[in-house]
Amino acid sequence: MSNRIARVVWGAFIALVGVALFVVYRHYFAGASGALRWVKDGIHYELLDPRALGLLLVTPLLLFVLGRSLADLPWPQRALSVLFRIAFLGLIALGLSRLVRSEETHKVCTVLLVDVSDSVPDDALADARQSIEQYARAKANDDQLKVVTFAERPRLIEIYQGEKLALPRVAQLRHHAADGKPLGAGTDIRAALALSYGLFPPAFLKRVVLLSDGLETDGDLLAEANRARGFQVTLYAVPYRRPPPGEVAVRSLTVPDKVDVGQSFEIVADVYASRAAHARARLFQGEALNGLDGVRELELKPGRNELKFQSVVRVGGEVTYALRLDELSQDTFRDNNAFSVTVDVPGRPTVLYVEGQPQRASYLMSALNAQQFDVDVRAASAFPASLRELERYDFVIVSDVPHEAFPLPAQELVERYVRDLGGGFLFAGGEAGYGLGGWAHSTIERLLPVRMDAEHRKEMPGVAMVLAIDRSGSMTGLPMEMAKAACKATLSTLQGDDLLEVIAFDSSPVVYVKMQPARYRSRIQNDIQRIQPGGGTEIFSSLDLAYRDLSVVQARKKHVILLTDGQAPSQGIKDLVQAMLSESITVTTVGLGEGANQDLLRSIADGGGGRFHAVPDPNSLPKIFTRETELIAQQAAVEDWFPVEQVAPADFLKGIAINAAPLLHGYVATQLKPPPAQLILQSERGDPILARWRAGLGWSLAWTSDLKNNWSIDWLRWSGFSKFWGQLVREHMRVKHRRELDMKTEMLGSDVHAVVDAFTADERFDNGIVSKLIVTGPGSAGSRRELAMHQTAPGRYEATFPLDQYGSFLLRAEHAKAGENGELKPLAMSYGHVTNPYPREYASFDPDLDRLARATLAGGGSIDPDPKRVFDPAGQKIVSYSPLWNRFVLAAIALFLLDLLVRRVRLFDRKFLPRQR
Amino acid sequence: MIFAGLPLAQLLMIAGAATALTVLLYVLKLRRRPVPVPFARIWDAVFRDRQATELFSKLRRLLSLLFQLALLALLILALGNPKPKAAILEGRHLVVLVDGSASMKAIDVKPSRIEVAKAEVRKLVHGLGSADRALIVEMGSLPSPLSTMSSDVTELDPAIDSLTASDTRADLERGLSFAVDSLRGLPKAEIVVVSDGVLGDSSELEKHVDFGGASLKFMPIGKSGNNVAISQFSVRRYPLDKSRSEVMLEVANTNDQPVQIELTLLGDGTIIDVSRIALGPNERLPRYYQDLAGASRTLEAKIRLADGRSDDLPADDHAFALMPERHRARVLLISRGNTYLDAALLLDEYLDVTTVPPGRPLPSEHFDVAILDGVADSLPDTVGAALYLNPPEDGSPAKLGHAIKDFGFDTWDKKSPILRFLALGDVQVAEGHAFAPGPSDHVLGASEQGPILVSGVRAGHKFVALGFDPRNSDLVLRVAWPLFVLNSINAFVEEDTGYVSSFRTGDVWRIPVPSSVDSATLIDPRGGKHTVPVKEGRAVYLGEEAGFYKLVAGSGSDAVSSEFAANLSDLAESSITPVSALSLGKARAEPVVLGAPGSKRELWVYLLAAVAALSVIEWITYHRRVTV
Repeated sequence: MSNRIARVVWGAFIALVGVALFVVYRHYFAGASGALRWVKDGIHYELLDPRALGLLLVTPLLLFVLGRSLADLPWPQRALSVLFRIAFLGLIALGLSRLVRSEETHKVCTVLLVDVSDSVPDDALADARQSIEQYARAKANDDQLKVVTFAERPRLIEIYQGEKLALPRVAQLRHHAADGKPLGAGTDIRAALALSYGLFPPAFLKRVVLLSDGLETDGDLLAEANRARGFQVTLYAVPYRRPPPGEVAVRSLTVPDKVDVGQSFEIVADVYASRAAHARARLFQGEALNGLDGVRELELKPGRNELKFQSVVRVGGEVTYALRLDELSQDTFRDNNAFSVTVDVPGRPTVLYVEGQPQRASYLMSALNAQQFDVDVRAASAFPASLRELERYDFVIVSDVPHEAFPLPAQELVERYVRDLGGGFLFAGGEAGYGLGGWAHSTIERLLPVRMDAEHRKEMPGVAMVLAIDRSGSMTGLPMEMAKAACKATLSTLQGDDLLEVIAFDSSPVVYVKMQPARYRSRIQNDIQRIQPGGGTEIFSSLDLAYRDLSVVQARKKHVILLTDGQAPSQGIKDLVQAMLSESITVTTVGLGEGANQDLLRSIADGGGGRFHAVPDPNSLPKIFTRETELIAQQAAVEDWFPVEQVAPADFLKGIAINAAPLLHGYVATQLKPPPAQLILQSERGDPILARWRAGLGWSLAWTSDLKNNWSIDWLRWSGFSKFWGQLVREHMRVKHRRELDMKTEMLGSDVHAVVDAFTADERFDNGIVSKLIVTGPGSAGSRRELAMHQTAPGRYEATFPLDQYGSFLLRAEHAKAGENGELKPLAMSYGHVTNPYPREYASFDPDLDRLARATLAGGGSIDPDPKRVFDPAGQKIVSYSPLWNRFVLAAIALFLLDLLVRRVRLFDRKFLPRQR
Repeated sequence: MIFAGLPLAQLLMIAGAATALTVLLYVLKLRRRPVPVPFARIWDAVFRDRQATELFSKLRRLLSLLFQLALLALLILALGNPKPKAAILEGRHLVVLVDGSASMKAIDVKPSRIEVAKAEVRKLVHGLGSADRALIVEMGSLPSPLSTMSSDVTELDPAIDSLTASDTRADLERGLSFAVDSLRGLPKAEIVVVSDGVLGDSSELEKHVDFGGASLKFMPIGKSGNNVAISQFSVRRYPLDKSRSEVMLEVANTNDQPVQIELTLLGDGTIIDVSRIALGPNERLPRYYQDLAGASRTLEAKIRLADGRSDDLPADDHAFALMPERHRARVLLISRGNTYLDAALLLDEYLDVTTVPPGRPLPSEHFDVAILDGVADSLPDTVGAALYLNPPEDGSPAKLGHAIKDFGFDTWDKKSPILRFLALGDVQVAEGHAFAPGPSDHVLGASEQGPILVSGVRAGHKFVALGFDPRNSDLVLRVAWPLFVLNSINAFVEEDTGYVSSFRTGDVWRIPVPSSVDSATLIDPRGGKHTVPVKEGRAVYLGEEAGFYKLVAGSGSDAVSSEFAANLSDLAESSITPVSALSLGKARAEPVVLGAPGSKRELWVYLLAAVAALSVIEWITYHRRVTV
């Protein structure tokens, strides 16, 4: 064969090898994204990085170089050499491709989980420390031992310094924060177990030994024991058996689900004592000691002690009971010496009583209190701002409040309260009631069963009014001009039949406008315009003149308005005013500027049954006069003694001899609206005294007399007064038709789970309810939060929320359902309470051996194992993968030396025989 | 530098022997081939040249030796598996929390979010420095570490491979707490959350988790959240008419666009209803089915988009429920004859009543409930629970107190299932006894004169005791009487109407079992068997997979099996729109910066690669006579 042919053949061979290697590599290794696996003789092999075998693709290069070799070697050695070099690279490639193979090991790694929570006494921890030493002695050299301590959270601790066991002291085993604060107020065994899963090195049998009292506050050991099996962990337990420390704890405080105001009931406390102990128990209702049964000296026996206290709630609402233990003969933890629970005691019906003269509200309030109503008296300015707040009341009374003091939003709230929420509403008269208070054509009038535009009494003029105007020198200028304007404004306010007289006075009175009907307006205005300032100030004579002129005219209302800006003698004025009042002539006084004798004017107004106005700015005089005239000129007030007459039957009048009721002394004249307005009581003249009708869902009532010691002064002394109003309110108050749905609450770890089951009247599931859960607490002064309850099954509504505070919490669920128009309508309520009094770590101290036993049963282990048994593989084996790359490197070294030998020592053709041709 | 491979002594021994052999082989001269030449003078020039280049020739030999020694040194060094000392002391420590919740099954990224997460984590791990160590944790309803804190990719890679998404929500707080526990005391601690961000409300977590210096990083997964879900599916029996039940099914659209879905209901595996439902943006629509025909045992609901497209999360498009099964309760009535009692028991067709006069031998078979009317015979263990009516002093489960007359129920536990729907306020009783209940007994009803209705447990068996003969009262004339009897039986046989037929995955389930058993066997939807512990009459198990389960309590002929369904039922988990950033209150997780892939390789890999390269070079130089 010629050289050329040999080269061609050699080249073809190299190309063939190259192509073959490339094809094999591309097919089997280049596209492999993960490991390659195979089994041979029961042993699993795995090539973790098969692409590294691509190193063998240099083989054609080696062959090519060999073909061009200048080395003086016989061809067998050359062949050997290239084979060795390819094998060498093959071994390196196998090493790089990370060939591993499975093997069985029997090494054991044991993790000791040591409970160091507060419920564990120091003695038990010392025992645990000894146990760790026993386990350290029991382990074989190739076994491993790790220790995790746990309370609220788990921690891995180092127990070896080098090869030597160096256990922390007992006190050091407990957990503390960086600032030294102890962290033992909880036990989460589950978290400790979960932490251990990540501590087992590969190729070790996994064992966990739990050293604990079995009491847990978070997590669930039993569920985690199942998971441990899933991680191939065998769970053993060594229960702490030391007796619990001297400890007294209040475990529960049970108040009946339903507590009624005024009825005594029993509160049961469960007090745990680890040993016989003495203690003093104090039961608090709110901030005060429980009245019936507040303090007990206790001799507690070991275990559970039941205490019963009698209590009574006098006022409804949220009531918090707290049991506190002190003077304890032995105790370790203080947190668990108190327990509080809050209950919602349905209170008495509540009446909102808005009184224009709050200082005179006591009469009706006392009467309603006597009838078992809670009465909330407020001024008009403090009227609730929202329907939610108004909803708390069962009945609303607005009495003798002027219209301008009761803004439109408040009136609209009242209307919605009655119409939409079914509330009861009573509007009572008085000097500022009905027309007298300017309520005509108001929202409230629309709500009431009476109209306020009562017909005038034709038989006599409505009002006879005298304006007594100070025209002293000090009134010169703007004051006098404004006083004249005020007189003209008064004139324009009066009806044509009303009578008006204007007296201007200085040291003596001058009648500028004689008593005449107001219909002569232009003449009267001219007369007023003639008033000129004069000299001093003399009030008595002008009042006396006004008295004399008024006493001879016929009018239902006789009134004097006295305007002055200076000082005047007061002699005789008091008697004069009394005399005027005795003839139903009332006097209102207006003091202009700071120089006016306010004391005198105030006493005149008080004695004269009128009002006193201190006016610093003369510009406001017309407004004052107009307002005063409107009050007086309202044609509605009827002041006369009269008996009330019942004209229609009413349930609330049962048992009340209304015909024997005392006389009333006045009312505001109104007109009954057409049916369904219903007249119950009327005056002699047939005017409505008490009328009612249904307005929307609720009742609206009109009481045209007053509720205090003015027109009703004799009624206040009537024996039936309290009963009359009590029965009236009770019949017409808001009826809470809402259903109550049972709520079940339970604490799941630190979460509260609330469940409400809703059924319809025919015992089907009530679906599609929109429920809102309101949680308040801890205690009655705690925060408030709202969350939605979600429907999870037919008729079932649930909510879960975390409690991160300690104390007692009230739960109230409001259930609503969408009506036909899609609007939500209240449907039902649910009430519940939960108590999270203190960290649960301090609630139990007796070891829960049963929990530990069941956990080890689920975890495949046992209770109190011999440490040697824990480290004994007991035939168990674990399959692990060991890397083989170092073996290939060793082989490569050997091959390297062989290759060197082949190239450095002539092994063949040592006689140098000539080549055969 | 430390050696993690062969011990140093062995290494030195191998190095010494190999070096000696190598040098020895170089000391030997290769015997040259004798070449006869015709005329020596011609070669004189060659020999002169050779003498002139001898020094160069020696240098080539020396170079060759050095090549070989370098190769050898690299091999032996690789054998020692050298690691920088910093790898032990100063590397970063990472806990990689990989979201394993149901939303990670979403397929908005291919093949799925969990697979993309695995690929990203693999990149992260392979990009770590040689001194860094990582712990791979699957974050489901509970955290599950899948590796140790390791720098070895051969351990971390299988852990990454084993990551899965289950039918639960992810509990980020527990995951972070676990990470903090694992990193406590370790330098350069980092927590990497790999998730689509569907992790519930995390705004308060900053307050609850003390990171203790560990930094938090977030690697977002997923790109869209087109999903419709079955957010509730359950069946419940009616409280009174237990032969009938009602199904609740809620479908939800978690998108901002309206969708049409097709809902298929399967009863016992066959289709019983197909309907189309229009859902508005983010709408939840409950549906109720009363007395659903066509299903006697199992119910399944499936939804899909009406246009045939798939949504991004198929996992919540399938839900399971079991029709509540009614067992026939076996009742043993020990009575001299009581018409009112007989009438009450006739109202429930699911009762098998066996009547025995007092004093006669009791049947040996199993009874769920015994009703003892005016007697208190001792009962065998085959009787599950007992209702005592006016028990005599001797044998009464609760000690009898003083005799009382003319009384009624002044208080009663309205929340007890035994007194559900009962109005006892105006019941009049002529005579009876008050009980003196034990510490663990529960007073269900009491008059002012003492407890008259008590429940409790004696020797593992439940009981209810009524302190008067109902015939001495007007109770028997009221609707409350049969309700009381039937409620008691229902409470004993765990057929309370509160029972809802499906559990939620991710919760710890407490499944009622006979209180006498210690453990039970749970068979999951894939047929896997688990031995679960029983505590206080409940089998405890953390379920993470939706589907039908079977629980077998006890063994042999006493084995009692029950079935139940589990569903995800978590609208928050179905709202799968991914987030690009994770914030815990004010704190915001930093983004993850991936290192260069491959930088995680150990030193020996580079040493062997150098050996390979050097070996090829040496081969070429040798054969081209650059070295000899």
